[in-house]
Amino acid sequence: MATATPTSFTDQVAVSDEVAEFSPAVVEEMRSHLTKYPADRTRSALIPLLFVIQRERGWVDNAGVNFLAKFLDLEVTDVWETATFYTMFNLRPVGRHHIQICKTLSCRIMGEPEITDHICSKLGIHPGETTEDGRFTVTMVECLGSCGTAPMMQIGFDYYENLTKESVDKILEDCN
Amino acid sequence: MLKEPIKVTINGAEIEAEKGAVLIDVCRDNAENIPSFCYYKDLAPQASCRMCLVRIDKMPKLQTSCTIKVTDGMVVTTQSPEIEKAQRSMGEFLLTNHPLDCPVCDRGGECELQEVIFDWGDVEERFKEEKNKAPEKYLSPIVANDPQRCILCKRCTRVCDEWMGEDAIEAGNRGANTVIGTYGGWLNCSQCGNCIEVCPTGTLLDGVYRHATRPWELDQTITTDVYSSDGMQLSIGSRAGEVHRIVARDRYVNGLNGEFLDVKARFAHEFINHPDRIKTPLIRYSKGGKLIPATWDAAIKYVAHKLSAYGSETAVVASPRLTNESIAALGFFARDAVKTEKVGVADRQSMAAFFENLSSPLATHKDIRYASTIVLIGGDPEEEQTYTAKQIRQAVRNGGAKLIVVNETPIRLTTKASIFIHANHGSVDAFALTVLDASNDSFAAEKLGVDAGLLGDVRDAVFETKGDVIIVCGSDLSSDAQAVIAATAGSLAGDGRRVLLHPLPLYNNSVGAIDILGGGSERDALRSAKAAYVVGSLQDASLLAGKEFVVVQELFETETTVHADVVFPAASFAEVDGTFTNNAGNVQRVRKAIEPLNQSKPDWMITRAIAAEIGVDLGFEPSATSAFKAVADAVPAYEGLRYPALKDESSPVQAKYEIASRDVSGAVDSLRRSVDAIQPADKINETPKVGHKLHRLTTMTSKTPQFHLLANGNPKPDNLLVSPLVQIEPSGAKREMAAAVGVGDRE
Repeated sequence: MATATPTSFTDQVAVSDEVAEFSPAVVEEMRSHLTKYPADRTRSALIPLLFVIQRERGWVDNAGVNFLAKFLDLEVTDVWETATFYTMFNLRPVGRHHIQICKTLSCRIMGEPEITDHICSKLGIHPGETTEDGRFTVTMVECLGSCGTAPMMQIGFDYYENLTKESVDKILEDCN
Repeated sequence: MLKEPIKVTINGAEIEAEKGAVLIDVCRDNAENIPSFCYYKDLAPQASCRMCLVRIDKMPKLQTSCTIKVTDGMVVTTQSPEIEKAQRSMGEFLLTNHPLDCPVCDRGGECELQEVIFDWGDVEERFKEEKNKAPEKYLSPIVANDPQRCILCKRCTRVCDEWMGEDAIEAGNRGANTVIGTYGGWLNCSQCGNCIEVCPTGTLLDGVYRHATRPWELDQTITTDVYSSDGMQLSIGSRAGEVHRIVARDRYVNGLNGEFLDVKARFAHEFINHPDRIKTPLIRYSKGGKLIPATWDAAIKYVAHKLSAYGSETAVVASPRLTNESIAALGFFARDAVKTEKVGVADRQSMAAFFENLSSPLATHKDIRYASTIVLIGGDPEEEQTYTAKQIRQAVRNGGAKLIVVNETPIRLTTKASIFIHANHGSVDAFALTVLDASNDSFAAEKLGVDAGLLGDVRDAVFETKGDVIIVCGSDLSSDAQAVIAATAGSLAGDGRRVLLHPLPLYNNSVGAIDILGGGSERDALRSAKAAYVVGSLQDASLLAGKEFVVVQELFETETTVHADVVFPAASFAEVDGTFTNNAGNVQRVRKAIEPLNQSKPDWMITRAIAAEIGVDLGFEPSATSAFKAVADAVPAYEGLRYPALKDESSPVQAKYEIASRDVSGAVDSLRRSVDAIQPADKINETPKVGHKLHRLTTMTSKTPQFHLLANGNPKPDNLLVSPLVQIEPSGAKREMAAAVGVGDRE
């Protein structure tokens, strides 16, 4: 029996014309990113602006993409193309604490599978899922460049290194 | 003739090439076949498929010939064991994820990937891991997509960007997961289908033609587009009397448009075999009664009897969609059979005044692509003359041309313009007064609602130009404005500057109709007539109300046939031989792809039969060849043209219009008066939606079901795996669906 799942999950986005609104301070911050690039190449500011959108809205949503397309005079597809290329941009909603566990070689050797199993069973979710209360999302990511302190994970923008089951418990408890 | 010839050695043979030409083109011009997928002439190079590798002396490693420009003394080897090994390895990589499902693929038989792999015969496949799997799906009502067949050559993304300026399709995700697609998975573009045409594999497929036939079963007939006045050359694929698909002419031997077609030319062909076609002659025996089928003999006799009685009280109106042969037959009929002066063309906005006042030659589409400055006055080429719009866009983007737009609506091309004169609503005519000198600037600027300095900037830009200036004149200008622009263009030339004109008439053969019948309108022709002989349909069918006797030749029952006393079934463009004249003055062949359906006949044949019944010989034998000879003899601009001269569509023949300096002081005066009467109005600030004219439902386009979805806002269906035609009503409303199974789902 066929599943009705097209290849890319962004196919499922119900595209609308809704454009996100931001406070003057945020818009001012976005403008300051534009000044870093030549006046006729402002599209180069796309990646820093995607980070601003993600910070403000939690994830890169349709309204945010529409805003960027207008702001930088791009097509929506151009924004989509860039945003899907980088795993750092969340194209679906994530929990308040976005746990990104490194699954690359050094961490894998140093016990990442046990850490992952421990976190997932503790939170009751699989990698790629969000807890029902919307607190945690677990994703598996490639090397975060902290091999010397493997295994490690990133929550938000912070690194947590030399993980053990005990230290993970402590870290998760500290997340509210 | 080469501008700067240099010597290059390819496979030991010394040849001459143009300095700066792309190496792969030079090799191919000299019969060295180099396989490539991502390379496409006149698009930005991509160099992602790595198939066009060659060995160039003094360069390390093999080089991609699509990114190398030839230099003097270059020594190139295109065939050697080393190169073949490299190309075979690349072929193996391309096939890692490509399923070998050619027997069920619509592209099978005309697939570039298949061709190259087939040439080698034995590509070893060492990739044992699981291939990427994805179901077939739809990207829009007319673009079907099978993601796993994609080899990521990105031709589709580049034509969308560079030809159409839409950026509707892009490559998303990364690495092994890269797919061609769009945000939300649903294309809301003009649906030109050029991405389908250039796709070298079966990734993007024609959703109208889908699974209808195999390509090799189709008879290909080269003919001319029946919608836009660009006269795009296309290939009708038919089998057993049925038209299945339309594609552009072959990639390497093609007409003026290369592989470019628009949504109407490519997809709106289902009207040809539509069951609603009028099948037999129909007679309405009393006004208000029904149209009743009749035999050809009876209908012809009846019409001949009636029209000969009305004589010069008869108005004769031709549709600008007809072939030159049919229009000329009507002209001869009016002149010889009913001896009437009441002759008109059912054009929405005629450009006759433009053609009567030519002071510069017409630009070919190639001239536009390599122009230095383009002045676009009025018109909306992106929606109506799509190929002209593509050439303008490429001239600006790839050729660095300067674009000046004068328009009431901020059409999409204005974003590419260096000067945009945003005229008040209804005031664009005023610009014509300022083309030559500054004497009318302040007067015109006030009416246009723009700064007078801008008008001077336009003239400066034109007079500074070295190279070609193309003045593109839209049909929405008044006759006086058209005449003034056409007549003043010639005096802008000089000092290494050539000025060429390019009109934007609305119908495929508007130009031919003007050449043959002149600029009479349907309104003038019908005003005092008692009887009417209309071939095609009128713009305003209510003009026929109250006429005593009306004869119509049509494909379908339309508002015009409502008034008809006799209706003859006409043959569509796919069923006749003939010619169309495009907006560059190219007289191009229309060729018969299928026999006339039901009892329909070519329009000129019906006209000739009526005349013969009246007892008048129209001066040509019952063959299209003879009819065209009569046209060429009657129209000075077509003098000496015969079908054999029009045989080669890759070098279209331009009609010889009379170019002279004209006295248009009368038109200038009346234009000044009419401009003076223009009332101040607001500006239109909103750019119209893509496809607002292209997706409009007309008698012809509405016969392709997909156009109903496009015209109703192109709603995204719930399930992208199932044809949107099944999921959405023609009105755009979503249908209740049981859980549907994907069309080509392999799970």
